[in-house]
Amino acid sequence: MPWTERLASARSAARAAAMAAILLCLLASAPSAEDKLLSIYGPRVSYSLPVSDHEGQEYVALLEALEPFGNVTAGAAGARWKLHFNHLEAEFRQNASIGKVAGQRIGLPGPFVLENDRGLVPLRALPTLLGLMLATKTDYHEAGRRLFLGGVGTRFTTDVRENGLNLNFTAAVNPLISTEPGKLKMSFTRDAVVSNSYILRPENPLVSLITFSENNGKAELVVAGRVPLLAQFTADRRTIEIVPAPAQAQAPPTVVTGNAPSAATLPAAVAVPPPPTLQSLTARPGFVVMLDPGHGGEDRGALLSDTLEEKGVTLAFARRLRSELQGHGISVIMSRDADVTVGVEQRAAIADAARVAVYLSLHAASQGRGVRVYTALINSASAKPASFLPWDTAQARYVLSSRALAGIVKAELGKHEIPGAEFPAPVKPLNNVAAAALAIEVAPSSADVSSVSAGGYQQRIAAAVAEAIVVGRTRVEAER
Amino acid sequence: MNRSFTIATGCLLAAVLVMGAYLFSLRRNEQSRVQSLPDRRPIPAPVTGPPSRVTLYLAYDDPGVVRAETVSIALPPDPGERGREILRALVGEYVKRPSAHELPATADVKDVFLVGTDTAVVDTTESFAEGHPSGVFVETLTLASLVKTLTANLPGVTRVKILVDGKERETLAGHADLECFYDAVTVEQLLEQLR
Repeated sequence: MPWTERLASARSAARAAAMAAILLCLLASAPSAEDKLLSIYGPRVSYSLPVSDHEGQEYVALLEALEPFGNVTAGAAGARWKLHFNHLEAEFRQNASIGKVAGQRIGLPGPFVLENDRGLVPLRALPTLLGLMLATKTDYHEAGRRLFLGGVGTRFTTDVRENGLNLNFTAAVNPLISTEPGKLKMSFTRDAVVSNSYILRPENPLVSLITFSENNGKAELVVAGRVPLLAQFTADRRTIEIVPAPAQAQAPPTVVTGNAPSAATLPAAVAVPPPPTLQSLTARPGFVVMLDPGHGGEDRGALLSDTLEEKGVTLAFARRLRSELQGHGISVIMSRDADVTVGVEQRAAIADAARVAVYLSLHAASQGRGVRVYTALINSASAKPASFLPWDTAQARYVLSSRALAGIVKAELGKHEIPGAEFPAPVKPLNNVAAAALAIEVAPSSADVSSVSAGGYQQRIAAAVAEAIVVGRTRVEAER
Repeated sequence: MNRSFTIATGCLLAAVLVMGAYLFSLRRNEQSRVQSLPDRRPIPAPVTGPPSRVTLYLAYDDPGVVRAETVSIALPPDPGERGREILRALVGEYVKRPSAHELPATADVKDVFLVGTDTAVVDTTESFAEGHPSGVFVETLTLASLVKTLTANLPGVTRVKILVDGKERETLAGHADLECFYDAVTVEQLLEQLR
């Protein structure tokens, strides 16, 4: 057998084995709608973290919780786990219920867990730990898994009008809005909406009841109507106007984000199903974004500076982006959520097996400035309709969709005043992904290379990319 | 323990030590003999041929472009050897200090093989990949520069495959694909976007 055929058959066998292993892993660990989340609201940033269960207790990763607030690094040495946050040091031991933060002994309500070098603390200990490390006041709503830092909180009042009802918030809000017969639901994941009254009965011919609840890292306002209702935002996004829907409004359940393009108050009750000025995100099961933080484990990626490795920068950025996307109500899976080795082709196999809608390969570099967005260096003309896509050219069928999405990402970066460029490049494993696929390379914001890992800079990029996914979702779904 | 047994053991130990010292000296003598031998490995024949003008597509990290530059180099008649000399001239620009697109000082192109009528296989040295700066952009510039230079100067070549020290490699330095064949048309599309 010629060497090329032997090589090809060996690679095919390896891929098949990898696919089988990945499918098993996915079946075992596929994210479900019931994934537990904790939302943290700070004065400058709001984000969500996954919550895991260990021996009947809820746990959360301490490093991830601190990442948006500054430079944080952590490492395990045997059973000992040390974390450095700005100028503070914390130390914990596996299975020990006492830790040390800035030299002060802290009791935990459960044992510290070390999992793949990630330090997990009991969720109930997090308010105390963050309060101590950030030197700020914390307010934890345990039933809803919502943690408020520094006294943040967005309150609302109701204002009854002749033809509807206004919900006035003390800050701009961006809820996910869904309608179902007799009800209008507003879900606030990224907004620190709080309320003292959990049931309101406004004297209104349209609205019979407003309930406020907190659950799984989000707040929910449900407006029960006497007639079909429609929600619309004012330009400053501080007011949601509840108005009666038109007569034909007996529509199927519809989900709408508050991310509407708004120049002024959106036109009243233009249509249900979805009003044209709001972007319809009618639930299509399976719109999942896969974040693939480049490198990891034995593969450190580029050495950006003496102390900064690409694998750590990409993981931190992926966690921020995940939080942003989840805030927009988008499901996310990650190729890795710890410092572990994942093969390059294995990453594409995970994306293909999970049938994700968007795949984002995340990288960091010390050269240049801003963000570079890459699509596969492949000719779309080579795409052929077929039941099975060739592994080496799986992307060909989706590359136009990928390029459209790359253009949207670049535009959104521009709106956030982040320099962006977009072009094709031979990045592994974009060619093997059967979905809209981009590689995003984050470069420093200034001459200081360490700015590539700055929390605020990464957060801005993550917000821009997440908004681009929301804007480009319709296009991506149309071409799936 | 009787006296004769003690003497015998002592003699054996002494013999072991003497043999060890002898073996050590033999090894050292052999090493110095091998080192003093002349290097009889074959060396490539010097490139001969009339100077020809070729276009190198040089990568510039800042501002991130690939620019054409014409140089004059001696080129042999064999197309494969011509390709090798053209790429060596290109890589030679990158190993200079300073360079607009720095590659390790020992980076080089070992050979260029022409397969069929349209495919070139470029074999690079191990240090070309091992010491290459890591990053999507910088790796893409290197590959685009190599492929464009080769396809522009060897008529008929439209596909390029890159090997490292005679072997296939997954990526150049962690990002850019080295398992695929590079197509002249798609690389041209990339260069268009970079302009």
